[in-house]
Amino acid sequence: MSTPLQVYEPFRAGLPPLGKYRKSLWSRRTFIAEYSRSELREQHFDSAFGQMWLVLNPLLLSAVYFLLIVIIRGSSDSTRYAHLTATLFLFYLVANSLTGGVKSITAGQRLILNTAFPRIMLPISAVVIALFKFLPTLAVFLVIRTVLGIPFAWQMLWAIPVLLITILLALGLAITISCINVYFRDIASFLPYMTRTLLYLSPILYEASDLKPKLKTLELFNPLFPILDSWSRALVHGQVPHLSHLLIALGWAVGIFLIGTYFFLSREREFAVRL
Amino acid sequence: MPSASNSHKTNEIAVSVRDLGLTYTTAIDRRPTLKARVKAFGRGGKQTRVIRALDNVNLDVEYGQVLGVIGTNGAGKSSLMRVIAGILPPTQGRVEVYGSVSTLLALGVGFNPSMSGRDNVYLGGLAAGMSRDEIDSHFAEIADFSELGDAIDAPMRTYSSGMYARLAFSVAATVRPDILIVDEALSTGDAKFKEKSLNRIKELRSDDRALILVSHAMATLEDVCNDVAWLHKGKLVQRGEPTTVIKAYREFLQVGKSAAIDEDV
Repeated sequence: MSTPLQVYEPFRAGLPPLGKYRKSLWSRRTFIAEYSRSELREQHFDSAFGQMWLVLNPLLLSAVYFLLIVIIRGSSDSTRYAHLTATLFLFYLVANSLTGGVKSITAGQRLILNTAFPRIMLPISAVVIALFKFLPTLAVFLVIRTVLGIPFAWQMLWAIPVLLITILLALGLAITISCINVYFRDIASFLPYMTRTLLYLSPILYEASDLKPKLKTLELFNPLFPILDSWSRALVHGQVPHLSHLLIALGWAVGIFLIGTYFFLSREREFAVRL
Repeated sequence: MPSASNSHKTNEIAVSVRDLGLTYTTAIDRRPTLKARVKAFGRGGKQTRVIRALDNVNLDVEYGQVLGVIGTNGAGKSSLMRVIAGILPPTQGRVEVYGSVSTLLALGVGFNPSMSGRDNVYLGGLAAGMSRDEIDSHFAEIADFSELGDAIDAPMRTYSSGMYARLAFSVAATVRPDILIVDEALSTGDAKFKEKSLNRIKELRSDDRALILVSHAMATLEDVCNDVAWLHKGKLVQRGEPTTVIKAYREFLQVGKSAAIDEDV
């Protein structure tokens, strides 16, 4: 398992040997699983009440926002509620990845200062934790959808590629922000404002088609816009999402993931002295 | 960091450090923030400071050796250990490590204070590259050696610093790596545990293992080590017989054989 000889030499700017890095990361996949499990256990999500809270929290949240929609628009219907819950839950997958990821490196200080391991494990774990919190809410949504009597359709399967794109985007964002937080520790305090802004910029409280033409340009700067629109189309309306939206979303996700990972990998060897 | 897999012969090189230099820039602020950066913008104030932690260090450690590393605070002892463990990349020179290093400079355990001691041992071990089975097979011994009892399942934020150090030492000393680095972890815990950990260190001395101990406890080092290296301001000052080097270091400190250096194990 161990290579008998390890050589440590000065590193040039840029990436570490990627093949070796990937192998070393893969051999530690149990860490990611164990870390997520311990973290969830520590937050009591292994108990019945913890699980209930996991479901109750997004439900209450969607109820509050639904109230907001009803008051502002004066009316609403069941499809709108289904749209709200579906997109809100997916949005929280990304938001939780960000809030979990932002401090993953700074909180892992002890481990980083004393152990050699691929640092990228820490933000990845944060995304895995967010994903574990997301899965029960997906089940809740399907129950809501059934209760509301919205017919199921095979087009709903389009949600799977959308979810995969979202996970890739969440990974990219968590990796990027965890690295930025090493250099600017107050990013974590700005984050709630950033996620709140993102929430209002995304088609959650409204549908993508409701957006005034004047504000259409906002779509272009928000990677979540095409994702949430495709998600809602597939899961709520049972339609095939726009191919262009899927491609734009994929482009965003791949771009952020690659740039963030490059940024992270080229700097992670410096983290030990920056903490 | 798997446990010793293949045996090494005495006098084979375990660690070879060549012309090692390590400089790093640290932030002057304890917490670098965007706010501080924006406020300093235009004033051209320097945000970072360059520290030369290690300067042209050459050091070989052989199997069968027990090397003590001494030096004043800030001499670069911990930096050297971190380079050997692969945690800090060197700025100059080359470090070769033949064998598995206990990268647990003991204190990687407990990185998450809200998790239990048990979880922290597992996570620390997994992060270091051990498999779950390996940790399973060592866990009983670790828990037993640390004498924590039921506290092993309590969150680590409830631990006293002594309990913390005991657990950390137990992990480092139970997992049997080819090269074990103990960085001042001996100096914590009560008298009984100090005695116990010192005995453990002595047990761990063997022909197919290299031990590196960083400590300020001169008497202990004289007792345990068969070789001592003295670092000062990032440079290797002297290396050799424990008694000779320690004597020189004491003279340098001009404190003589005072109780303060000997007391702490």
